[in-house]
Amino acid sequence: MSNLDWAVLLVTLLGIVGYGVYKSRGTRSMDAYLLGGQSMPWYTVCLSVMATQASAITFLSAPGLAYSSGMSFVQFYFGLPLAMIVLCITFVPIFHRLKVYTAYEFLEQRFDFKTRALTAFLFLIQRGLSTGITIYAPAIILSTILNINVTYTTLFMGGLVIFYTVFGGTKAVSYTQLLQMTIIFCGLFAAGVMVVHLLPESVGFGKAIDIAGKMGRTNAIDFDFSWTNPYNVWSGIIGGFFLQLSYFGTDQSQVGRYLTGSSVGQSRLGLLMNGLVKIPMQFLILLIGVLVFTFYQYNKAPLFFNSYELHKLERSEHRAELANIQLKHDRLFEKKKQEVEKLDAALSANNQALINQQRTLVKQYDEEGKTIREELKALMIKNDADAATNDNNYIFLSFVTEYLPKGLIGLLIAIIFLASMGSTASALNSLASTTVVDIYKRLINKSANDGQYVNASRWATILWGVVCIIMALFTSKIGNLIEAVNILGSFIYGTILGVFLVAFYLKNVGSKAVFYAAILSEAVVCVLGFNEVVAYLWLNVIGCLGVVIFAYLFQNLIKEKAVEIEVPV
Amino acid sequence: MNNSKNELPPFVKSWKQFYYLLLFWLVLLIALFYAFTKYFQ
Repeated sequence: MSNLDWAVLLVTLLGIVGYGVYKSRGTRSMDAYLLGGQSMPWYTVCLSVMATQASAITFLSAPGLAYSSGMSFVQFYFGLPLAMIVLCITFVPIFHRLKVYTAYEFLEQRFDFKTRALTAFLFLIQRGLSTGITIYAPAIILSTILNINVTYTTLFMGGLVIFYTVFGGTKAVSYTQLLQMTIIFCGLFAAGVMVVHLLPESVGFGKAIDIAGKMGRTNAIDFDFSWTNPYNVWSGIIGGFFLQLSYFGTDQSQVGRYLTGSSVGQSRLGLLMNGLVKIPMQFLILLIGVLVFTFYQYNKAPLFFNSYELHKLERSEHRAELANIQLKHDRLFEKKKQEVEKLDAALSANNQALINQQRTLVKQYDEEGKTIREELKALMIKNDADAATNDNNYIFLSFVTEYLPKGLIGLLIAIIFLASMGSTASALNSLASTTVVDIYKRLINKSANDGQYVNASRWATILWGVVCIIMALFTSKIGNLIEAVNILGSFIYGTILGVFLVAFYLKNVGSKAVFYAAILSEAVVCVLGFNEVVAYLWLNVIGCLGVVIFAYLFQNLIKEKAVEIEVPV
Repeated sequence: MNNSKNELPPFVKSWKQFYYLLLFWLVLLIALFYAFTKYFQ
């Protein structure tokens, strides 16, 4: 990185951290610290919700996914608009009117403390683990730039985020996310323009997509139903709906965001706008990955995008074998480039017969490339059994640092940091609020004043920050980070959502029935998930429906009287 | 916090209309992505 890039990066980072600290001054009450005084307009709610979901992982992993397997991941978000509608009809008005700090408070009013504690516990486990991954993602960036072990960069990044979050509080998190998303949109647009600009003169935007499409990278829609394919229209709409409804309706990191809305209407509008914008945004991020793929058809891609792992192999006793693989990779690139240029010419001439012939050839070379990479991965494992053999998360990063102009590199890396800080701040804030509101205030210290609870929240943030850093240190062996977060969520979200749906819609079901139904359903999800019986998105559906069905059956066996709660209008 | 029941969304006459708008948007996006997939494959 040049001095200009470092300057852009540092000024942006320190500016955001300073802004967070500045915004947190004078925060003395729990309402202000955990709910931002419920004063935010819809556009702040919308961008805050988007910034919480779109972590650094979104900008690192999604282009990498599109590069290696195409755009099918966009279908994952098809359930989101439907989930936003259900949230706006049911969850938002009830949470607002009951004036809860956390979603789980509502469950004690509807059922009992053990149900509240169970869901809060499941949330803490899931969010604690996935926030570790969120911290790890930007740590990769520093690792690659400085060429040092990712452990040290994880410690540095985690420490910076804890410092910012402890002082930030919810209000500052929301305001900084507003700025962060604005910068992120501008930076991604600039990155997209630059990729097209770097392509050969004969290859414009349309042709770049056309070439990637002929090599199977524009597969945005797949209508074929499958229980095991994670990305098709049906798993996206049905499984995605349950996952997104669980995430936005029961995950405190999101509930805490839209509860900051100044009214039910402002919270609703923020969520519905998110439903309008999210899918096109994700499509465009994946499209950048597709353009990067086409770029590397004309410019030789690294043999392996994680340079740290490659350097390890270069210094090992296996360097002769590595050189041999590198030679095969170089030769294949030259052959493939010639065929891609012929495909380019065939597309210009609109010669369908030649297009079909070249498509078969370049796809064949693409498969050969994958075989060479498998050979390399086997060598990496032979050299070091703990080597990280998945480099998806490094693809976009490697392109940015290698080919983008000075200044823009610093800006794009700052964007990845900002995204990470925003989502990690939300996560740590929600972990702290759940720990303090649902455990500390409820069980340990019921009669403290507001200032003491704010201090407890700050200590809880530090504690969770340290736990998440420890989790992050174990993350390096996980393949694609964005998938890892979603898989982890799918194991737990469905069960929590089921508990909330029973609370809202099965008014005759009591606390014992729903509690045991939740435990049984979670056990079923774990058995199916660990044995990979179905693709992970379906675990959300199974977990949720499991709770609803088991709770209904148990209620008929137990015949327990349910508590009715009145929701103020 | 203002909990007014009568707060309406912009551009449309009721929240229900906004929900239908969002459903229409989802269907439109799926149709466009399908056309995109077919055109470039």
